Amino acid sequence: MSTPARRRLMRDFKRLQEDPPTGVSGAPTDNNIMIWNAVIFGPHDTPFEDGTFKLTIEFTEEYPNKPPTVRFVSKVFHPNVYADGGICLDILQNRWSPTYDVSAILTSIQSLLSDPNPNSPANSTAAQLYKENRREYEKRVKACVEQSFID
Amino acid sequence: MESVGNNDANRDELIIQQQREIEKEISDSTPLVSGQLPLTCLREEYNGDEIFTEKIRELSKKYKFIRRTRPDGNCFFRAFAYSYLEYLITNNTAYQEFKILAEASKDKLVQLGFPSFTLEDFHETFMDVIKRVNPTNSEENEKVKNELHTVFNEQGYSDYVVVYLRLITSGKLQEDADFYQNFIEGDFSIEEFRHQEVEPMYKESDHIHIIALCTALGVGVRVEYLDRGEGDQVKAHDFPEGSEPKVYLIYRPGHYDILYPN
Repeated sequence: MSTPARRRLMRDFKRLQEDPPTGVSGAPTDNNIMIWNAVIFGPHDTPFEDGTFKLTIEFTEEYPNKPPTVRFVSKVFHPNVYADGGICLDILQNRWSPTYDVSAILTSIQSLLSDPNPNSPANSTAAQLYKENRREYEKRVKACVEQSFID
Repeated sequence: MESVGNNDANRDELIIQQQREIEKEISDSTPLVSGQLPLTCLREEYNGDEIFTEKIRELSKKYKFIRRTRPDGNCFFRAFAYSYLEYLITNNTAYQEFKILAEASKDKLVQLGFPSFTLEDFHETFMDVIKRVNPTNSEENEKVKNELHTVFNEQGYSDYVVVYLRLITSGKLQEDADFYQNFIEGDFSIEEFRHQEVEPMYKESDHIHIIALCTALGVGVRVEYLDRGEGDQVKAHDFPEGSEPKVYLIYRPGHYDILYPN
């Protein structure tokens, strides 16, 4: 059955194919349009460069009125990424707008990689290193970039 | 410190899950928009409360019926849309004018910087709803009103109407940012306010939302405030000030419902 959420997800997918933003990609899983797989490539000139980070996006029938649940599957060492891959990002929580689509979600997460917000940490070690020991932070990030090739 | 250790657990998702359970409880027990009920039904809610009982008695001299909306944070927008469309069903000229304004609103929002791709989706549905309540002739009015009631209780349509009105409100705040900035408390910028308090669904409306929406659509709204304030009269406020109301709402702290004047 076509519901507003499913209809909208078909549109999101079409747009992502026709007008793909640089450095991100995503598609519904084979048998369920409510669950997507996505990849974000680490932005240039950041310690995440060259990484290929996999994510899952889970939508409910309330999309786009409510945000989907987005989670990194690849291990990501980042101040705003929880140990289980969950992401602490305002537009996925209290600043969600129904005008955001999958493309906007992925590009926002991509810029979060470049610009962490250490003041609302999901990973306190990463936040602390980011603020106090940038060299060690970058080393830990690069380790997860290498890991992302194997995953 | 313990709090640092707990930090790494994914609290956001737990909070969201809990919120969703509460919302589900509300949505299972109340329709998005109820049928017309006698205003006196409010009395039961305030049984034994003198101030409210007196105010309800005063209010019932002016209004006969109330129509409840689901208390989900979208009540102002849903009540406004329902009530205004219900008025338009009885006024073909105003209906035709509103249809033109609604049709043109999309381009305006795109000009203001809203993403046209996602906007289109909401606008199409909004126009669908407007077309479904086209007043054909006065004999058919009741039928069209039933259609309105059906549409507004279909979550998909009903919520998209709310989203679109939120976007119109947000657009108006942006367009006249210098003016609306005065209404915002604290250090919020208009930009932050729009993204945090206007565009997200389920965020409650304040005066500033009402003024911006009414001004953008050129629709007068009268709100009757039923609260513990002084006196035995319910205070009314018209938005925008001095306008002739087409939509009548009752506000009780945290919630809007629709009123029907005598």
